Amino acid sequence: MDIRNDLMEHVPRLRRYARALLTNRELADDLVQDTLERALSRSRTFEYGTDLRAWLFTIMHNVFVNQVRKASARVVHVSVDDEAFGETELAASGGQLHSLEVRDLDYALQRLPAEQREVVLLVGLEEMSYAEVANALSVPIGTVMSRLSRGRERLRSLMAGAQPGAKLKVVR
Amino acid sequence: MSEQPAAISEDDIHAYVDGALSSERREQVERAIELNPALAARVSDYFSLNNMFHERYDRVLNEPIPPRLRALENKRRAWSGANWPQFAALAATLVLGIGIGVGTGSYLPWANSSRVDTVAADTSETMAREAALAHVVYMPTVDRPSEIGKDREHDFVQYLSNKLGTDVHPPMLTKSGFQLMGGRILPGEDGPMAQFMYRDAKGERVTLCISQRKTSANTTAFKLYQDGPVSVFYWIDGAFGYAVSGGIDRKVMLELAHDVHAQLAETTPG
Repeated sequence: MDIRNDLMEHVPRLRRYARALLTNRELADDLVQDTLERALSRSRTFEYGTDLRAWLFTIMHNVFVNQVRKASARVVHVSVDDEAFGETELAASGGQLHSLEVRDLDYALQRLPAEQREVVLLVGLEEMSYAEVANALSVPIGTVMSRLSRGRERLRSLMAGAQPGAKLKVVR
Repeated sequence: MSEQPAAISEDDIHAYVDGALSSERREQVERAIELNPALAARVSDYFSLNNMFHERYDRVLNEPIPPRLRALENKRRAWSGANWPQFAALAATLVLGIGIGVGTGSYLPWANSSRVDTVAADTSETMAREAALAHVVYMPTVDRPSEIGKDREHDFVQYLSNKLGTDVHPPMLTKSGFQLMGGRILPGEDGPMAQFMYRDAKGERVTLCISQRKTSANTTAFKLYQDGPVSVFYWIDGAFGYAVSGGIDRKVMLELAHDVHAQLAETTPG
């Protein structure tokens, strides 16, 4: 049987989670693409009647963890072309600093350890049950709870630090 | 069932936020929250975080699915594509938080002729790590308002300082070919951090982070922090820490760092 059509149904949610996990649109879509390709190549191992979404998130987690390892490869030169980024925002358009900027959430999330970021997002954004998260990450529920607890508390303090009013002044 | 409900655990608090408690237990947590304002604030923040995730990322659900994800046969990939590997490796390295700080070393060819020292990792390295991360997260968003032309660098410096509500003025790096493009105030480990972005004619970007330190220290030499392809030259000068981040040639970066240091030494009283 071909699960291709069923897979497509889940793409928007996979993309949402990947975007939150990696911030960058292209990298996030790469993660989704890798996940879909791996899912297709292993579609025989999927048991019909079980939760396809959970199966896909498990695959995505494995791909993500592999990329964490690969990323240790060092590259020296970097240049970034503008067209690669769909969402340029005016860094200097006024009035936005009175509230938290959307990028602040990206930044705070990226400062979380990857394992905490995964749990905080699977629970908070994907609204998975703790058991589903434990299953997707292949860790005990107790580990899910401790990562959730540490991750949320850390994120909370990071976002509190981003509150407007934090100004830098030269002390004379 | 029990007349004496079990104490509210950390897990209960999260399960409450995530709607994973039985109704009985939920009522117990609610009573505990009513009696404990600090707990109430925490729970409220956790709810807010979940809401923020949706506000920020639900928009992705409505984006058109890119063709490469609709046609899975299509093997053209950004991850391994010709235009992308450098940035991919850069972002992945930082995003995944596995960068390794490297004390600068004598292996650097120009080490003999400049103020680069070998220094053990210390708290100022945290600043360098944050600067590297901020460089990658915010670099793509830089855009200078078109009404402030290239010839009006002074005006833009003033504009930006006013906008950010800081009297820390970004230095001008035009002499090295880099134009100021934007800036923002970010939270840092030690307090707020001002980040300024610059770009040269080739599109290369560097960012300068300035943070105020809790404890004033003596001036230090330049140190180098390396996180994947991102080099960060950083130093402490009195109450401020500075970090210049970029993915370009380290020699150029070091020249920029010298330039920044010289300008700030002129304008900031010791």
